[in-house]
Amino acid sequence: MKKALFNILALASLTALFFLSCDKIDEEQYIVFAGATGEWYYGNGVDDHSQRAFLEKYTGVRCVACPTADQVIASAQSQYGGKLIAVAIHDSCLAFTRPFEDNPDFRTPDGDAWSKFFGIFDGSYPKALINRPKKNDGNWDIITPTGGFNNTIDSIINSETKVAIATSAVNQDDAIDITVDLEFLQTVSGDLTLTLLIMEDGIVAKQRQPDGSDMDDYVHNHVLRDVITDIWGDAIDCTGTAGEKRYARFSYTQKKEEWNLDNCHIVAFVSDKASKYILNVAECEIE
Amino acid sequence: MKKLIKLFAVALLLLNFQFPISNIKAQGILGGHVTGNIQFDGQISRQDSVIGASDVPEKFLSNTRADILYTNGDFSAGLRFEAYLNPLLGFNSQYTGQGIANYFVSYKTQDFAITAGHFYEQFGNGMTLRAYEDRYLGLDNAIRGLNVMYHPWKGVTLKGVIGQQRYYWDTRGMVRGIDAEVTLNDIIKRWNESKTRLTLGGSFVSKYEEDETVLSDINGYKLNLPKNVGATSVRMDLSHGGFGLQAEYAYKGQDPTVINDYIYKSGNAAWISASYSQKGMSANIQAKRVDNMGFKSVRSEGGEMLYINYTPAISKQHTYAFLSMYPYATQVTGELGLQGDFMYKFKKETLLGGKYGTDLHINASLITGLDTTRIGGKGTDGYTSTLFGTGDTYYGDVSVEIAKKLSAKLKLTATYGYVVFNPIVGGHGGDLHHNHVAIADLTWKINRKNVLRFEAEWMGSDSKYDPEDDDKRAGDWIMGLVEYNFTSKWFVSVSDQYAYQDGVGNYYNISVGYTQKATRLQLGYGKQREGIICIGGVCRQVPASNGLTFSLTTSF
Repeated sequence: MKKALFNILALASLTALFFLSCDKIDEEQYIVFAGATGEWYYGNGVDDHSQRAFLEKYTGVRCVACPTADQVIASAQSQYGGKLIAVAIHDSCLAFTRPFEDNPDFRTPDGDAWSKFFGIFDGSYPKALINRPKKNDGNWDIITPTGGFNNTIDSIINSETKVAIATSAVNQDDAIDITVDLEFLQTVSGDLTLTLLIMEDGIVAKQRQPDGSDMDDYVHNHVLRDVITDIWGDAIDCTGTAGEKRYARFSYTQKKEEWNLDNCHIVAFVSDKASKYILNVAECEIE
Repeated sequence: MKKLIKLFAVALLLLNFQFPISNIKAQGILGGHVTGNIQFDGQISRQDSVIGASDVPEKFLSNTRADILYTNGDFSAGLRFEAYLNPLLGFNSQYTGQGIANYFVSYKTQDFAITAGHFYEQFGNGMTLRAYEDRYLGLDNAIRGLNVMYHPWKGVTLKGVIGQQRYYWDTRGMVRGIDAEVTLNDIIKRWNESKTRLTLGGSFVSKYEEDETVLSDINGYKLNLPKNVGATSVRMDLSHGGFGLQAEYAYKGQDPTVINDYIYKSGNAAWISASYSQKGMSANIQAKRVDNMGFKSVRSEGGEMLYINYTPAISKQHTYAFLSMYPYATQVTGELGLQGDFMYKFKKETLLGGKYGTDLHINASLITGLDTTRIGGKGTDGYTSTLFGTGDTYYGDVSVEIAKKLSAKLKLTATYGYVVFNPIVGGHGGDLHHNHVAIADLTWKINRKNVLRFEAEWMGSDSKYDPEDDDKRAGDWIMGLVEYNFTSKWFVSVSDQYAYQDGVGNYYNISVGYTQKATRLQLGYGKQREGIICIGGVCRQVPASNGLTFSLTTSF
């Protein structure tokens, strides 16, 4: 009897070992991005040579004028059909951006750093920069994005593209693989950087309204979640010569589980390292 | 004689090698017994630009191993000391060093055995797992871990192994495997006494390896490597009287490694052997197909180490120098092979048997590549192959050996062989080599204690030595050997191989040996041609050398 039990146990153990699974990799997954963040390689160029504008709006959930800015920006985005890319940055300004109780906190250290650098922090809200230009007096050309910025956008998107940019992103279970392609249509001098950020649409949370009431189910769009690269971008390994085609891949792991990647977008922009001016920008969904 | 041994020991000490030579006897310790053996091989080689022997900075090279086994009833324990100071020419320099390379404890009863430590194991023909060692190949795939064997019922054998493989002085990889074998005649009562016997078996082996970065051919991309790779096999062994039929089929999952250029194609291998034997006659035919079946515990290991499995060799392992000059190395990436072997003994007092009888041995084999269509390189499925389509010829041979006792004291073995060899298999370039080989081997047993042996070999080849390919085996060769065994203890051997046409090299050797009970001492001087040594289709490169060799073995 004892031996029979032992035999059954031995056979069960061996049978269990038979089910040691072996990894099966689908053909389309044989090769994956190497994860060498910031490594630049010769690329195939960019099909869409559009020049786009990047509007970074500094906002807060307790800012009464901010919903108006949201409407104006949404309208402009609809008008420009993808040539205007916007991000909503909730910095840590005490008066306007402090989250409501039991509501999500949209503030980020990266947003704070930008806000402080551009002199927006703890000022009046909403404020915005479009491609980060400077005025003639040397100060940042900060606007109030509740209207009157179409001329600026027209000027940008109608200018001749110097650097065409395209980006794509794929969620690979444990990381997001991001690809950025650049094609220099004109020779660009100076050091260039690439900045990547992730933002999320469709977040329902309380927002103070222009009439002073608090709307519980306000839909917050293009909320900055994180700057993936350094906030001033990673260096682009290029000569900047017209005709040059470069690409790089990045691997990114989302930092908080509550982010809904289905509603997230990746934004990539090229800027001049010294002046911070944004030469071009692209956006993509995460597949 | 003791003086000679002492002289040799002193010589070793002068060569700065400390080696305890003593008459060790099997001894009883704690009620058990200790047995073992010690082997020492030394080499002095000097530069020889003609044969390509390079300078040896250490002047003296040596391999030493001592196996010690303690047994006490069902319990046994053993260890092996190894020293490579520095390794003999042809052995991997990563062996350099000394220490305890192998140790184990084992408990074994009639139905159960368990070993912890280093062990060797084989499932079936080894197509999914074969942990083994061959000291002459410098190969040791021992697994360090746990090995369990159990007979739950008569005729049923279960095995399980888990561990890491030896890698010179380290261990690598992680291997897990199970095997089951059932002899149906022992399980089914009415088959117990049947003349037909059938054994079925199956195994599953897997390896685990952490992820690593292997870049693909596309800039910035890497391979998505499987961490767990498995191989499974089924086998049968059927016999009926003198007839026998054995077969095994193995399958391996996706296993991109350096030996298959990191392709994702699954692997498989099939082997079948049919034989018939009766008194004075035997015949055997074998066929094999191997397709991407290299299975190593470390995907980046390209050398001879860390093979988990083994595919049976399907060509005859020749012993004569010129027939074995082109040994065939199994191509685990893909090959198709067929071999036939026939032995017949012409009886005494017949036309062909004569007074003492005549032995005839015919063997033929043909091995080709697979018929493949390339899909892509690294990071793809690699290629497709047809089931029976053949590719390039890799190797083929036919040999006919007749052994005939001419008189009470004279025995002649005459051999003719024809070998076709693709030098690409051996790592060289050029066209196929076609070689004819003729051998006469005459043994003269002068009396009970004195035996003289003469060997003459000739090889005619269509190959010519080309400095670009530097294959020093090319060309036409002759060889002569005289070996004298006297007093049952001494032997002296003198030989010379000479490339008389279209080749290079004159390789002479002289060796002297002495055997005293379980101790054998041998001293040699001469030139060794570079080439490869293969045992069971597994090979290693042997560089050229010119100098002295020493060998001392003893067992207790």
